[in-house]
Amino acid sequence: MGNRQTHPRTFLIPAFVVMGIFFFTPTIYNFVYAFTDWSSFKAEINPVGLANFESLLSSGTLLTSLRVTLVYAVLVAIFQNLFGLGLALLLERDTRINRFSRVMFFIPVVMSALAVGYIFQALLKPAGALNQLLSLFTAEPVTTAWLGSTTWTIVVVALIHAWKWMGLSMLIYLAGLKTINEDVLEAARLDGASAWQTFRTIRFPLLAPAVTFNVATALLGSMNGFDIVQATTGGGPAGSTELLNIFIYRTFGQGLFAQATTMSLVLFVAVALLAFPVVRTLRKREEVL
Amino acid sequence: MKKLWQGIAATAAVGMLVAGCSDPGTGDEPAAGTDDGATTDEQWPDPTADLSGVTLSLWAAQSSATLADQPIAAFEEATGATVEVVTIPDPYEQGVQTRVATGDLPDLAFWQPTSSMLTAINASTNLQPLDGAPWIEEMDPELQDLTGILDDTRYAALITSPAVMGVYYNKDVFEEAGITETPGDFDEMVEIARDLDEQGTTPFFEMAGDRWGTQWWVQVLLADAAADGLWDRINTGEEQFTDEAGLTAIQTYKDLIDEGLFNEDIATATFEEQGDALLAGDAAMAVQINALYGQLVAKADAETVDETIGFFPISPSGNVGTSIPDQANALAAFATGDEAQEAAARQFMAFLMGPNYGDFIADQQTVSLKGDVPTPDGVPQVLQDVHASLGDSVGSMQSEAVANPDLYLYVSDMIQGGQMTPEDVATATQDHFAQLAQAQGVDGF
Repeated sequence: MGNRQTHPRTFLIPAFVVMGIFFFTPTIYNFVYAFTDWSSFKAEINPVGLANFESLLSSGTLLTSLRVTLVYAVLVAIFQNLFGLGLALLLERDTRINRFSRVMFFIPVVMSALAVGYIFQALLKPAGALNQLLSLFTAEPVTTAWLGSTTWTIVVVALIHAWKWMGLSMLIYLAGLKTINEDVLEAARLDGASAWQTFRTIRFPLLAPAVTFNVATALLGSMNGFDIVQATTGGGPAGSTELLNIFIYRTFGQGLFAQATTMSLVLFVAVALLAFPVVRTLRKREEVL
Repeated sequence: MKKLWQGIAATAAVGMLVAGCSDPGTGDEPAAGTDDGATTDEQWPDPTADLSGVTLSLWAAQSSATLADQPIAAFEEATGATVEVVTIPDPYEQGVQTRVATGDLPDLAFWQPTSSMLTAINASTNLQPLDGAPWIEEMDPELQDLTGILDDTRYAALITSPAVMGVYYNKDVFEEAGITETPGDFDEMVEIARDLDEQGTTPFFEMAGDRWGTQWWVQVLLADAAADGLWDRINTGEEQFTDEAGLTAIQTYKDLIDEGLFNEDIATATFEEQGDALLAGDAAMAVQINALYGQLVAKADAETVDETIGFFPISPSGNVGTSIPDQANALAAFATGDEAQEAAARQFMAFLMGPNYGDFIADQQTVSLKGDVPTPDGVPQVLQDVHASLGDSVGSMQSEAVANPDLYLYVSDMIQGGQMTPEDVATATQDHFAQLAQAQGVDGF
């Protein structure tokens, strides 16, 4: 290895410096400030031990937000991968219309998340376009508040998040599908396997690396979700879509900087705790390859 | 190689330790003029003194970005200074607090002059005291000390008539229903509402979809208690939101909603829809602040609004308004540590409120705060009524409480989800208030 390396290792330094300044330093500060009483109200910052954690845990709002965040992340991971995989299978063949469709479905990925959120908010409000369309078809006025249910709104916003990002999952699944050896599929066909059998026992297992990447990024990415939900519901109705990041943003904006830092530390730990088992389990599926 | 990494790691660690526990937004330098007993002349330079080469920054929200255009142009002309308006995106207060926390200070900013928001920006460290300001004596006596003061020090200059919570109503709807006189107290208003409801008109319109306005009902219902010193007792922890006054206000509001006196889509309705409904006569009344007037004239011309919409203040026992100044009503000058800049910032305020005040309110078509400057012709009756209610108004939670808890959020939760009871709303509000008060170091929390 040593003699064959193409670049000196010092070339890594700029990347690490950038990482250090923009990632590691804030993360370490995150640990420090969580144990202080930093706020906008006072000039001094004093250590307070575990007081921030105690008050957050005792009020219960942190755990509620954490639960909402987890539900959201799981829903997004499921929807985004179902949509992405479905689209990849539909648009697998390299026809002209498929190429065009892939581009179309990829457009939401590059759109501003806030713009997506505001558009959906307008579409889904009681007097919005969706209800007007439904009224037209059902010939009676529809005024469903799609973002007004304390039970189902989280599913709706997760669907919006999944819709925005499904193009990326599709692309990765498409790339995964392309890597499957044509010989294997031909052998399956010769053995009389149906399309469903081929998918279930051959193609899907061989997609394992793509599944790992897609599930992990969707799940962990949406744990850090903020923009889409902030734009559509702002955490409502009745706090049922208040992701931890929205709660943190709100707390920080009130000048309770230390409390907000404590929450973001909790989020950091939660993501880390979730990331390792998820990635490890998914990687295990790849070992058979 | 390994040594290099160790070196970098050690340097970084030391750097962080050194920087670790200092707050860049709150230096230790005293604010100008607090300790040297400066004379009024030094403190308040001639409004038109030459300021060539000086550039002042003025932070504004989207809603106040063009508010100072006239005084800025006149000030630049008179003094040779340059004033740059920087628009901070909404939510404005959060954006400003975050910037100030990182040590980024403007010379001037629009700022809500209430005690809770002056506390939130750490006024004693970050803002210039405005004691002895030359225009104060010229203001209407009842408005002089209405707001802008924290711990007996003035930190914000009220420049326009502050917002008041009260009832905006559609005059045509009242007339059609045969209501000739506006109600004299809260119970009379509810009676009118029941009559309207029987006639098939939606009495009240509330906008819980946008959430922020839901706290006005509760605060209006607290007006009597506020006059009786409620907020002083809340501030010391002697009384809580969960005690009788607070709980009853929330419960009364909830009962009226359950009775069906509000719009059916109360849970999702927005501020914009509230304005539309009131203008169209789809609803008779809305408890709101001056922002609603701004919304109405954005949808219809001022003349139509003046013809259609009226205003009356309301409180449990009478017609007392609840005043709530917002950021567009006041200016604050920041203690940047640069004496020349600080003096220039004060000079801008003195110019706006002094020789330029008449031109300013004429440009804004708003009510005059100064006895010697008449209110310009053409200021709508609604705004004059709102302003007239200021004299005997009581302070809002935002004005009087040391901290501003998320009452609106919890009330909206109650309206939207039906999960939270009035008791839960009161408890959540009290907990949040205590959390903020504790962070401020208020005694008793």
